Amino acid sequence: MMEYLELGHIGLIIGFLLILVGFWGVLTQKNIIKIIVGFSILNTGINILMVSLGYVKGKTAPIIDAAVAQGEGHDVSQSIVDPVPQALVLTAIVIGFGITALMLAYAMKLYNAKKTLEINKFNDLKW
Amino acid sequence: MVNPIYIVAIALGVSFAIGVLNKLGRNFTGSLVLAAVSVMTFISYQWFAAFQFGEQTAKMIYTAGFMPPLSINLLMGHYEAFITLMINVIGLIGGIYMFNSLKKRGYNAQVIYLVLLMGLNVMVMTRDLFNLFVFLEISSIAIAGLILLEKGTRSMGAGFKYILATSIISGFLLLGIIFAYYFTGSLNLDDVVAANLSSIKGGALAAFMIMIAIILEIKPFPANGWGLDVYEGSDVGLSAVISGASATASFFVLYKVMDIAGVEWNYYISIIGAITFVGSNLLGIAQKNTRRMLGYSSIGQLGLLMMILGFRDILGEQTPYIAFGILISHYFAKAGLFWLSGIVKSKSLKGWSNIRKKPFFLFLMGTFIFALIGFPPFPSFFAKWTLVMELVQTGNMTWVIAILFGSMMEAVYLFRWFGYAIKGENEHLEDFKIKIHKITPVWIAAIGLYVIGYFTAQFTEVGAAINFIPLAFVGLLLAIDFLPVMIKNTIAITGMALHFYFVYPELEGDTLRLIFEGIFMVGGILALIAGYAYKGKRSGFYPVAILMYAGLTAIIEAGTTLEFFYGWELMTAGSYFLIIRGKRSMSHGLSYMLFSIGGAYALLAAFGMAHVGQDSFAMDILNTITYIPTWAYGLLIVGFLTKTAAVGLHIWLPGAHGEAESDVSPMVSAILLKAGVFGIVLTLIGMGAENNQYSELAYALGWLGAITALVGNLMAIFQEDAKRLLAYSSIGQLGYIVLGLAMMTHLGWLGGFSYVINHFLYKAVLFMTIGAVVMRVGTHNMYEMGGLIKRMPLAFLAVMIGIIALSGVPPLSGFAGKWLFYNAILDKGWYFQGAVMFFSGGLAFLYLWRLIHTVFLGQLKDNHRNVKEISIWFLIPIYTLIAGLMVFAAKPQWVLQPMGDMIAQFFPTGQLVWDGGTAISQYGYWAGSLVGVTIGASFVFVLFWLLVSTRKAHKVKQFDITYSGERPERPETTHVAYNVFEGFYQAMWIATIPMVETFWNRVTEVLHETAEFTRKIYSGNGQAYMLHIVFFILVTYLVIIGG
Repeated sequence: MMEYLELGHIGLIIGFLLILVGFWGVLTQKNIIKIIVGFSILNTGINILMVSLGYVKGKTAPIIDAAVAQGEGHDVSQSIVDPVPQALVLTAIVIGFGITALMLAYAMKLYNAKKTLEINKFNDLKW
Repeated sequence: MVNPIYIVAIALGVSFAIGVLNKLGRNFTGSLVLAAVSVMTFISYQWFAAFQFGEQTAKMIYTAGFMPPLSINLLMGHYEAFITLMINVIGLIGGIYMFNSLKKRGYNAQVIYLVLLMGLNVMVMTRDLFNLFVFLEISSIAIAGLILLEKGTRSMGAGFKYILATSIISGFLLLGIIFAYYFTGSLNLDDVVAANLSSIKGGALAAFMIMIAIILEIKPFPANGWGLDVYEGSDVGLSAVISGASATASFFVLYKVMDIAGVEWNYYISIIGAITFVGSNLLGIAQKNTRRMLGYSSIGQLGLLMMILGFRDILGEQTPYIAFGILISHYFAKAGLFWLSGIVKSKSLKGWSNIRKKPFFLFLMGTFIFALIGFPPFPSFFAKWTLVMELVQTGNMTWVIAILFGSMMEAVYLFRWFGYAIKGENEHLEDFKIKIHKITPVWIAAIGLYVIGYFTAQFTEVGAAINFIPLAFVGLLLAIDFLPVMIKNTIAITGMALHFYFVYPELEGDTLRLIFEGIFMVGGILALIAGYAYKGKRSGFYPVAILMYAGLTAIIEAGTTLEFFYGWELMTAGSYFLIIRGKRSMSHGLSYMLFSIGGAYALLAAFGMAHVGQDSFAMDILNTITYIPTWAYGLLIVGFLTKTAAVGLHIWLPGAHGEAESDVSPMVSAILLKAGVFGIVLTLIGMGAENNQYSELAYALGWLGAITALVGNLMAIFQEDAKRLLAYSSIGQLGYIVLGLAMMTHLGWLGGFSYVINHFLYKAVLFMTIGAVVMRVGTHNMYEMGGLIKRMPLAFLAVMIGIIALSGVPPLSGFAGKWLFYNAILDKGWYFQGAVMFFSGGLAFLYLWRLIHTVFLGQLKDNHRNVKEISIWFLIPIYTLIAGLMVFAAKPQWVLQPMGDMIAQFFPTGQLVWDGGTAISQYGYWAGSLVGVTIGASFVFVLFWLLVSTRKAHKVKQFDITYSGERPERPETTHVAYNVFEGFYQAMWIATIPMVETFWNRVTEVLHETAEFTRKIYSGNGQAYMLHIVFFILVTYLVIIGG
């Protein structure tokens, strides 16, 4: 099985699935907390997808330690996966954290205002 | 030169410092934020100045000691410097406006505000896609964070919807960026562009996701409910910043990333822009909430900007100029309006009527609204002009129609709102306080619009030719508005006289222009003299009156189509303000404005067509239109007919002229209508006398004139209101003029021109006299007057002479027009039109006698026993005009001969032969003085005979009439002149059904219903908004990439 499904592809598939699950949650759940959870899943999916896209078969993590052959004649970049997506994911996680925190703060204030978390109830502004 | 990286460094540094220094109080931290924004503004300005006035070239700023793609880089180019300057300026003055509201929310809010601005700055400058994503998110979080710190659930819901929507969008952006990186191996914008994503398999999807996310950030219709809610619900200062800074930054980001997607996207961006522009403005019509309406308008304007970006291949090097003009106008105007709405506080549009207590508020609001619609002298006027010229030039008429339709819709709701502010009911509205830190930003925005507008004009060759001195004079009158009427009137008259004195030598020899300039200037001065009759300050009257005259004279002096259009718009703006000054004139002012704007857009499109294949914008390009010329001339005629109030386009006139002030009615009737006539004359000259290609157009115009004459006169008969009677009569008279000109023969034009002069003279006399009478008796209704001959003999005499001239009986000058007309009709062979005209001429008698009979004869009303003769200040211009009428009557050759010579340039055949004072045509002759003497002698004889024969007649006093014990509940029904034409009405009622009004009402209804129905998609549910976004993406995907 592993011969057909290498690590990068597994990541891609899981990422896509999580994105779909996230979208489903965001668009169908009526509870604000569940919507926020949906966003977290969506973000996770995107993050996994990003890392998987940077995966190169047979290479190791872009951390210069014992697993990476070093020294004369060894180009470090030959033995590690693309580090850029991983760096991006770190930033994306931080931003995702910020967004989630902000959404939760909203959820709290919205609940305090109307004692409900149903998103349908917050449509004072419309048309 | 300060490195632009300091924009980021200072913002971050101050933000962190506030974390430590917040013990020093919120005033201190707030000031620190403003100081930081000032420095950021200075850095942007320094760069902008170096690009604009120096030799600076674009500079790349590298970070972290690496070169891209290994590190993030920023670009500071000309555009970047300008856009960051815009962001920081609005950040600074908006920060002053929000100082207290931020302070109330704590130092966190102050920090977030600074971070928001920093995020927007970096979004503009960065050349790294991922960095773009990060700072887009920072800005979104900052906006949502600022809303979170506000109080109240309304804004809370809006903020939550905003963060939901932007999260979905940024998810797509992130996916797009990572795929772009996967395919190109770089996050650097320039590398990604160079790799040409759409040529790589799968790369098109990456480009699609990036593009669609950035487009969604601009809030395209209809996936923009979240944006509207924020505009409506959040702190008004924040709405201004979102509209001015955030939308500007998003727009620039779209410009930056467009290259990733390639040229084939241009078309789709234009389509999305057009849908947004038209859709938002259509839905804006149904809005009753000010803030939400402004939101719709903001989104619409961004749609227009998107269209312009999409056209960049078509517009070529003009693109930045056009985009700049629209962007900067929207930037200042919308921020200004949002700020105003924060001061006025009223949520509903109708609540704005309380700003009338503060006239300078109206000035500010008017400035912003006119700038948004694209009136001169604002930058949007020149941008819209150039845009239409270029689009027509390249054969893109469909786009022009979309743009003009969208603008028209925007004008509908903005001017309706303005009408509420000027004329709405305001009795029960509470007053509001104005704080200095809130009004200062508004003033800065308004002044910015004028200054930048002036420089925008200087930027192009045709624009630089515009004479701004009359407009500066308007500004002067505005500045001295606090002075009494006496002084302002004298200054205004002096200004106009001086202008005429300086212009006269230039126009000498050009009889055509001299006739119209004479009507505008001399007529204008005479009408202004009547203004001395007013007491007090007459606040706001002089700037707008002179604005109209500045426009009128600009039309005459125009050497280019741009100058003409500039004058046309000034005249429209000025006359709108004059008309809306009248009582109960709110709806009439609006319909006048809408017909005028519609007409102006027809002219704009036609000027564009005339420019096709021509290098110049000189007025004579109208004579050589080659691009679908029948359409072009047709559009010109329709545009000008909106001002002459031809039937179908006339419904604004009766109310506008009837309700106007006493000395304004002659201005907008006797004088202003001639502007439309002048336009028609120019159009017909352009079509050419001998050119049979357009004979059908002229034929249609002729019938339109004849029917207008009939309808105008017929409607005048059934009026009980003296001023409306005169207004309808004007419609009819203008119909004669149009018919005469449409004949395209020498005699037809001579007849038309003599009507132009005559109508000016007698309609000014009649409107001024009746207006002055109305000022004395306090009513427009004729049945409430009567017997005034005893109190106002001079007014009676003036009206008498006026109606003799108007009815066209000898000996006065109206007869000259009639005589020429029937000659021309016979000459041309338009017998049916002639019959219609003859019938209308007969109808004129039916209403004209009422002005004498009902107003001046009969019994004096009890409450009028002590009224005085009309004011001397009205009598002076009235009798001056009457003297003019007399001269025309006695020596018609003085006027008609030079006019004939002028017309002979265009129509050399069929001229009148003059033998001294006798005109000879092929059908007969007419000797003005001889006819005058004959009629005069007969009149004196009949008068004498009547005096002798009625010596013993019993005079009927008022109380000779008894009501047989009946006490009339409705006094007007006992008045003999009330509904005097009832019998005639029974015969003619079918012709008086207001079909045209019904038609236009139906159009309005359909628009409202459509808007009302469509806006229901904005259900207010955050989840629905996310669904809109997803659907928008899917549909766009299917259209662009294909299913």
